[in-house]
Amino acid sequence: MSHIHIPDGVLPLWLWGLGWLVTLVLVGAAGKLAERHDMRRKVPLLGVTAALMLVAMSSEIIPIAYHVNLTVVAGILLGPVLSIVAAFIVELILALLGHGGVTVIGLNTLIVAAEMIIGWTLFRTFVALLSRKRAGVAAGMSTVITLAITTTALVGIVWLGGSAATARETGALDPADLSFTNPFTEGVFSVGLFSGGEADAPSAPADSTQSAASESNSLSVKRFAAVVYTLGPLGWLFEALITAAIVRYVTRVRPTLIFSGALAEKERRIPGDEAGGL
Amino acid sequence: MHIGAVDESATLGRSWIHTASPITKLVAFALVLAAAVVSWNLLVLAGLLILLVSVATTARLKPGLAYSLAAYPALFAGVFAFASAPNVLTGLIIVMKAAVAGLAAVTLILTTPYPQVFAPVQRIVPGIVGDALLMTYRSTFLLLDKFSNLLTAIRLRSGLRGGHPLRSARATSQALGGLLLYSFDLSQRDYDIMRLRGYQDRLKTSLPRGATPARDAFLLAAALLALATSIVWRLGAAVLNPYSWLVLLLPLAALIAAALTSRRAL
Repeated sequence: MSHIHIPDGVLPLWLWGLGWLVTLVLVGAAGKLAERHDMRRKVPLLGVTAALMLVAMSSEIIPIAYHVNLTVVAGILLGPVLSIVAAFIVELILALLGHGGVTVIGLNTLIVAAEMIIGWTLFRTFVALLSRKRAGVAAGMSTVITLAITTTALVGIVWLGGSAATARETGALDPADLSFTNPFTEGVFSVGLFSGGEADAPSAPADSTQSAASESNSLSVKRFAAVVYTLGPLGWLFEALITAAIVRYVTRVRPTLIFSGALAEKERRIPGDEAGGL
Repeated sequence: MHIGAVDESATLGRSWIHTASPITKLVAFALVLAAAVVSWNLLVLAGLLILLVSVATTARLKPGLAYSLAAYPALFAGVFAFASAPNVLTGLIIVMKAAVAGLAAVTLILTTPYPQVFAPVQRIVPGIVGDALLMTYRSTFLLLDKFSNLLTAIRLRSGLRGGHPLRSARATSQALGGLLLYSFDLSQRDYDIMRLRGYQDRLKTSLPRGATPARDAFLLAAALLALATSIVWRLGAAVLNPYSWLVLLLPLAALIAAALTSRRAL
């Protein structure tokens, strides 16, 4: 569940601002760590791995609004430090292509980076437990668990933002009779340009009618969680099968890439028929 | 994803917005985005969308490309709205916000070559991040091309068939695996080339100035006006909401003017 497909302006400022802040600190620290050694080799590697994720994300399964991410594969190849940088790059490019909001780049980066790092950790643990011969199974299991965790994180983000993204003035159009009248004439407004919590303002009288109106206008986290946990597992399973197949294939052809990471290979490779006679 | 077409539009376009300063376009984009973030008024958001359609029309962007890219975030926002919005109107606003932000981002990327968009980012992030950003964009073209060739090869050898989903999935996974191996060889070649060309831990990009300062100023003024309108209608919602339809007048006039201008240009 790599991206938060929530548009700009739905989540409150404190939440997406915090996401940006944490992301910038993490990307800065990861960038400095990565620059310490062999940077000339890491730049193209980061570039192609992030590009690989972008190519995978360009294939979308419309009915369940899901696309392959290859985050776990990329995490296995890059390791935790470079994963943070790759996640930021991918999210920045996707946002500029209109795929995901700009304000949520920070939160998206955190989720994708978490996916890559958790996937990397779980894969290594499962390979140690199951043996290298079962790398495909280990990758599939890691993917399902990782996506379940990050999907829960996504629901948590919506829950955090849900109460603030409530009961705003929705314009002149009244949804009940489609007339152009002000739907909030009871003085429930307090100015909060980015917070959006007009109905939750402390200055507003907290009678039962208003709190009921506020509740009815808030984002339904329960409904969101129900939809995500119903459709999500299909996507997790699909992603796990693809990830397992890719890892199994690469393990047969070039095992060092999977078990030691992309930077471990020192010998030169002559490009040939990498698809193995497809 | 139509990255090749995006780059072609950004590089070969010659409209007034293509020749505007990249910094101006980035600032204008940020202002329009802020306007979409601030507003929870359907008609104000509709006005922003119409304004962006006018800009896209005068920039002579390919409608199929621009609007299909902008519709993508709207589609996902629709799923989110369906899952969580308390009523139809709020759901519509969520989708509209996504469409406005998406079309603003798409207009920026379709009128500005990617090194110019990434250049300001490159100056504030660590060297490896900025350089990898440029390498990613370049590598994406190569990998998309290679992936497309691999899929064609599989199709020709009957690996992709509607009646055999498991066989197709297996073939596609192997193609992705092959692509992964190809991508690492590509990174090794890039490394060799960068080493030969004396790469010193920084790929330098320059930011050109706008061809016409007056047009830059007009673009900024329009974006500022959009943000100001959004803020005013948010602050004075209690009084101004019944008059929200007024917000549509200027964008509609801009759209008519844009349509007439582009028809004359044809």
